[in-house]
Amino acid sequence: MTTREILIRDSPYRPEKKKVISYRRESHDSFTIRLDWRLDHGPGQFIFCSLPGFGEAPISICSHSDEYVELNIREVGNVTNALADLKVGDELLVRGPYGTPYPMDAMRGKDVVFVGGGCGVAPLKGVIEYIEHNREAFGKVTLFLGFRTPKDTLFLDSLERWMDVFAVDVSFDEKSGEVPAVCALASEGFVTQLVAQNVEYDENTLALLCGPPIMIEKAAELLMGKGFSAEQLYLSAERLMYCGIGKCGRCMIHGYYTCLDGPVFRYDELRRASDG
Amino acid sequence: MAKQYLLRKADFDTFINSVLKRSEVIAPVKGDETKLRTRSRYAPITSPDEIWLEGIPFYTTKYFFFDRKEVLFKFKGNEVIDPTITLKDRVFFGVRPCDLQGIRHQDIVFLEENPDPFYKARREATLLIGLQCAEDGNDEFCFCGSLDLKDIYFDLMLYDKDDAYAVVCGSDKGTAFIERYEQYFEATEGVITPSDVCTKDKRGLATTDIADIYDRDEWKEGADRCISCGACTMLCPSCHCFTIQDELDLDLKSGQRVRTPASCQLMSFTRVAGDHVFRSERLARFKHRIYHQLQYSRERRGETLCIGCGRCVRDCPAKIDWVSIINKMKEGDKDDDA
Repeated sequence: MTTREILIRDSPYRPEKKKVISYRRESHDSFTIRLDWRLDHGPGQFIFCSLPGFGEAPISICSHSDEYVELNIREVGNVTNALADLKVGDELLVRGPYGTPYPMDAMRGKDVVFVGGGCGVAPLKGVIEYIEHNREAFGKVTLFLGFRTPKDTLFLDSLERWMDVFAVDVSFDEKSGEVPAVCALASEGFVTQLVAQNVEYDENTLALLCGPPIMIEKAAELLMGKGFSAEQLYLSAERLMYCGIGKCGRCMIHGYYTCLDGPVFRYDELRRASDG
Repeated sequence: MAKQYLLRKADFDTFINSVLKRSEVIAPVKGDETKLRTRSRYAPITSPDEIWLEGIPFYTTKYFFFDRKEVLFKFKGNEVIDPTITLKDRVFFGVRPCDLQGIRHQDIVFLEENPDPFYKARREATLLIGLQCAEDGNDEFCFCGSLDLKDIYFDLMLYDKDDAYAVVCGSDKGTAFIERYEQYFEATEGVITPSDVCTKDKRGLATTDIADIYDRDEWKEGADRCISCGACTMLCPSCHCFTIQDELDLDLKSGQRVRTPASCQLMSFTRVAGDHVFRSERLARFKHRIYHQLQYSRERRGETLCIGCGRCVRDCPAKIDWVSIINKMKEGDKDDDA
């Protein structure tokens, strides 16, 4: 009986090394790193990044560039806390991209409303940058962005730029402490309040929702109350995942695999948005 | 019809012994009668005397295709080191049709869609000799006849014919195997007929279409008794969910990334950073497994993930009989319609 040793090459779980080319503190509990990685990807897709010994985490790409990949990472767990200690020039392990991107072609010629809450603004940033690069292909663009408090605000530099070219409304759940100059006009309250007050039904408008599940549900409810159909709404879902390729079963939302069928879903595709 | 052969039971021991000289042989063996677990289980054997073909084995074959702790790669700092797996050629003997269905389902997940090289290597080193269920081979928990499953894959299939096994060949690998051990296989014709395939389905599952009963209260009957132990998913030939984690050596620089089985019945299954749990209710977890098995996979791939072996009911420590729960709901609906 012969025993063989088989070397496993090209496993789908094998990551590659990439270098951090910039690092910036984004808020009190999140940071943004830019990786030297020319990656063919669509807005809304995600990658896995890891530090050996700490483990792997799925992170959505928050940029749209041929030159690099940017990740906005919130320090909430083992892996993300470890990633926060990275410095420019350090390497980390990555694999991807995974998931279905936002339907950029279907969005062409349409007005787009973004509703983002907290770190849910990160995946939307990739879409917004895509639109910035292809501005003439899209109609009116409106951003409703909500953060818990002013110190949770993300992407201040981008916000300043976006305010020049898009209609931008920011809200804070609690407008307390030092407010960044760019957000001086921000209102207090949930971002859904901005949606309730400022959005009018239009058949040529698509809405992209990303944030905590409760925000997505409330925003969708409000928009549909105004006459929007579920087919006009897109959401980006987040789940625990380990493989990214439809095997580990962790990211299932009913019959859907968030890693393959999502993370971007059209609202009517998810029979039930919650798992219960 | 594929070629048929006879394998005489008088030659059985010498046949197995000669296979053992070349390959590992994995077959159902008798459980430990001194312990509670008396039923057979698949295990590597060293002698034909160990083979015990009564009843459906307690554990399925799946952990012979997945290491309980699969090393996906080793690392030294940021350097990724390709792993090796150690393999022997192995012959599975006496695999039940339900376990063969389970292997076919695992093949779909791990060979057809984004192939998994670990599974592939183990699968390629495997020859599958099935054993068709006799009338008394199954029990009141089996319900494979209620499911519209595609044909099973096997290299050889055996049918018990008193003093001999009738053998049918299902693949080139099976043909090559018969050529290698030709002295034990006597060509024959017409011994196996369609009536030899067990179609008994004592209990039966009323329907696999359960989309309309998701919100019914009756699910609580099962969920309230569930102790979230995950036995159902461990015993299931089709369940394939897993966790990936890093393990660090004592130097805190090198280590390995490992894959271990996971169960959707455990609270931790959907726990994300920040301690949010998507399916925190036992009811949601209980339903998720059954809906994944019967509904979602049918909508996605055209057949149930469930293969009807009944292990998750037969060996549930809380004796939760979800088949009856569904049947009761569906029969109640019929009465209402009448």
